[in-house]
Amino acid sequence: MSTHTDRTSSTEATADRSYTPAPERQSERKFVDIRIKRRDRPGAEQRWEDFSVPYRPNLNIISCLMDIQKNPVTKDGAKTTPVVWDMNCLEQVCGICTMIVNGKVRQSCSALVDQLLKEKDPITLEPMTKFPNVRDLAVDRSRMFEHLKQVKAWIEIDGTHDLGAGPKMTQDEVAERYAYSRCMTCGCCLEACPQYDEDQYIGPQAIAQVRYQNMHPSGKMTRDERLEGIMGDDGITNCGNAQNCVRVCPMSIPLTKAIYEENRETILHGLFGWLKR
Amino acid sequence: MLRKLHQLSGIVPLGAFLLEHLYTNSKAAHPERGVADFNQAVADLQAIPYVLFIEITFIFIPLLYHAVYGLFITWETRPNNLSYPYPRNWFYTIQRITGIILFFFILFHLLNFRFGLIPGLNERAVAHYPNEAYEIVSREFQMLPILIIYIIGIASTVWHFANGIWLFLVDWGIVIGERAQRVTGYACIGFGVLLYVLWINVTFAFLRPGGLLGGLLY
Ligand code: SF4
Ligand code: SF4
Ligand code: FES
Repeated sequence: MSTHTDRTSSTEATADRSYTPAPERQSERKFVDIRIKRRDRPGAEQRWEDFSVPYRPNLNIISCLMDIQKNPVTKDGAKTTPVVWDMNCLEQVCGICTMIVNGKVRQSCSALVDQLLKEKDPITLEPMTKFPNVRDLAVDRSRMFEHLKQVKAWIEIDGTHDLGAGPKMTQDEVAERYAYSRCMTCGCCLEACPQYDEDQYIGPQAIAQVRYQNMHPSGKMTRDERLEGIMGDDGITNCGNAQNCVRVCPMSIPLTKAIYEENRETILHGLFGWLKR
Repeated sequence: MLRKLHQLSGIVPLGAFLLEHLYTNSKAAHPERGVADFNQAVADLQAIPYVLFIEITFIFIPLLYHAVYGLFITWETRPNNLSYPYPRNWFYTIQRITGIILFFFILFHLLNFRFGLIPGLNERAVAHYPNEAYEIVSREFQMLPILIIYIIGIASTVWHFANGIWLFLVDWGIVIGERAQRVTGYACIGFGVLLYVLWINVTFAFLRPGGLLGGLLY
């Protein structure tokens, strides 16, 4: 904290410092080095490329990528193609910008350079590995939406006429459902799950949505159909309890709770369901 | 379905048998009567009516199923412990590693003691020679490599079983909440440690009367 005394001499610097997570770095650093794993087109070989972008305090990964897009030149000065990535909300709500930053899956819009540099320098960016890689950092996550269809992650309504007020829910249920409702289908949980790979396992994201809809008083009516959606070969039994999903979920969704609640529901359904037919 | 049966088979009958096995072995831990008690226990087991049928239905078939399907499950895994070094993730991977160790360890153990089919090491099945049971085991444990194999094998067994109980409880939707899982986790660790101590003690009972604890508890 030696810079602390130097800086208090000017009021401007004092104001500036309050916004800067790492004031001691700011004075020295001019550039941020970033290694990006690139792929030119689907099916092409992946390769690493190094970039260096001008440092500013409070940079996030997306702003670095924008800098590269404006001036697509590698660290050695060679001209290259602009890096492709996805983004939308820029506030960790849509989930589309998810990628592997410094070896861990997270949203690049909320990944702050000052913190990342403490983990690793140069910072590394890779596309998610559990989804088809379209180009550079962009992946195709439509699989997750197929899974939502597979488990019927919606509530059926039988017409457009007024159904009146819905059934009441307790505050506790509302709070729990709210947690599941925050899922933004980003895929972090699937990326970190050691059991998830292509279509061998439906994964925690869809299971949490089963829990979400099954808790709803109207959703309960089609509960069994949803349970059957997660009872196939790719179903809930493939979970190996590594519990990585719940650790990496950026929305802090209680994924393992959903899995275990659904374990109970599917077991009861599996044991006694056939007796109803 | 297959997966659920796999989890269940690990608890009953395999886990239950494991405890029975410990019980029988522990007869050898008595400082004075250990040898006679153990041999008698082996003879008693052999005297169970339809013993072969019971062994095949409740031990060999579930064991084969658990082992083969377990390897199949392990085949599907994509471990990522270095990127996501959380304790549960390590438990996950270790459960699979101990599973593989156990596959070979139990194969060896069965061929060796149950069937006496390892030429040059042991050709007398403990089960078929109850009078010599203690002696056969003792002779082998005096060989350091065999003893080490057993110490590692037993550690893997106990780990796999203790963590397996936890996995069963959560996979069958019995223990759901985070706190409940943590408490159950500690209980399983405690149980595992206890099992390991008992088992190592009785293993050494084949080398010196009373085992490691020297018959302290008698
Ligand atoms: S559950 Fe969490 S990690 Fe998984 S897709 Fe939804 S928001 Fe992302
Ligand atoms: S708890 Fe299950 S779903 Fe979550 S990461 Fe582990 S194996 Fe995957
Ligand atoms: S752009 Fe929407 S979460 Fe990052």
